[in-house]
Amino acid sequence: MIAMDSDDTRDAELVARLKRLDAGAGAPAPGFDYDAMLARHANGITRARRHAALARVTAVGLVVALVAASLWRLDERRVVPNEEIAEVRPSAPQPRIVRADTYFAVAALEDHIASVDDLLNDARLRGGTDDVARLERTRAELIASYQQVRYAEMVSANF
Amino acid sequence: MQRLAEIEVTAEELAAARAGDREARRALFERVAPAALGIIRRLVAQRSMAEDLLQDTLIAMFEHLGDFRGEAPFGVWVRSIAVSRCLMAFRSPWHRARVTFEAWTEDSQALGESAGRTSDLIDLDRALARLSPVTRTVVWLYDVEGWSHDEIARAFERSVSFSKSQLARGHARLRTELQAPVSASALVIPLRSPEK
Repeated sequence: MIAMDSDDTRDAELVARLKRLDAGAGAPAPGFDYDAMLARHANGITRARRHAALARVTAVGLVVALVAASLWRLDERRVVPNEEIAEVRPSAPQPRIVRADTYFAVAALEDHIASVDDLLNDARLRGGTDDVARLERTRAELIASYQQVRYAEMVSANF
Repeated sequence: MQRLAEIEVTAEELAAARAGDREARRALFERVAPAALGIIRRLVAQRSMAEDLLQDTLIAMFEHLGDFRGEAPFGVWVRSIAVSRCLMAFRSPWHRARVTFEAWTEDSQALGESAGRTSDLIDLDRALARLSPVTRTVVWLYDVEGWSHDEIARAFERSVSFSKSQLARGHARLRTELQAPVSASALVIPLRSPEK
């Protein structure tokens, strides 16, 4: 309660000072007289009208541009002759060889192993043990070569 | 300076101004403009913005002279127009941005206006200028212009408690500003003396 009384007292002092400030203030002179005020007001109205007209013209221009752009896009959908389509169409996709250096070696080895496998099957069916043993050695050598090529391919891919 | 609320005009002056008599309107302008600028500058610290609002107020006054019914002094009617224009400016985002911008570029109170006043009133003037526009308006309208909380709440389109809380906040801020021994603007950092 004491604090409230104290605040009230200080508020009363503050109000008294504010009133003294108001009473002691000199009359500020406006930066324009009556005629200048009318001129400023007329200028303001002219400026506002000009801005409104400019805004209207801009809005109309934007609408016209949007309509023109949409009509142009519609006009672009014309029939294209077959010759042009043939020129533009990309050629058929080709098989891609990623690693040309080992591709042919690997392919040759795989073909060779496959042919050895066929001969080995024939030899087994015929019962020729010598041929089977020779072909199995050959196949083992081919497999070893194939593994070396694949290893070399993997190592070069990591660098 | 005659306070705006105390300005009265005779029926003849009013009739001539209403009829569009240029000299009568000029005379009315010269009587009302300084006092109206006085209150507008109390609410809006920036001089250029205050002059724009003064022009709006006086143009509105001349355009609506026919609406003045004479129930209160003429100055009270003009004051209500001026306050209304200021509050509209506070509500406008464009004007808020302008206040922020002009606060950087313009001293809110011209030093020349402080001439002839005691230092405590100059301090109070500066403390007032540091309040936010809304708080300053509520303090000035309640404490100096004698508006009630109801009238302030209606003018701001807010509740009575808004007016009361703004007033309490404004008083507290003013007390703090006035009790501060050295204002921030006057703070001088002393240079260190060279070592001997």
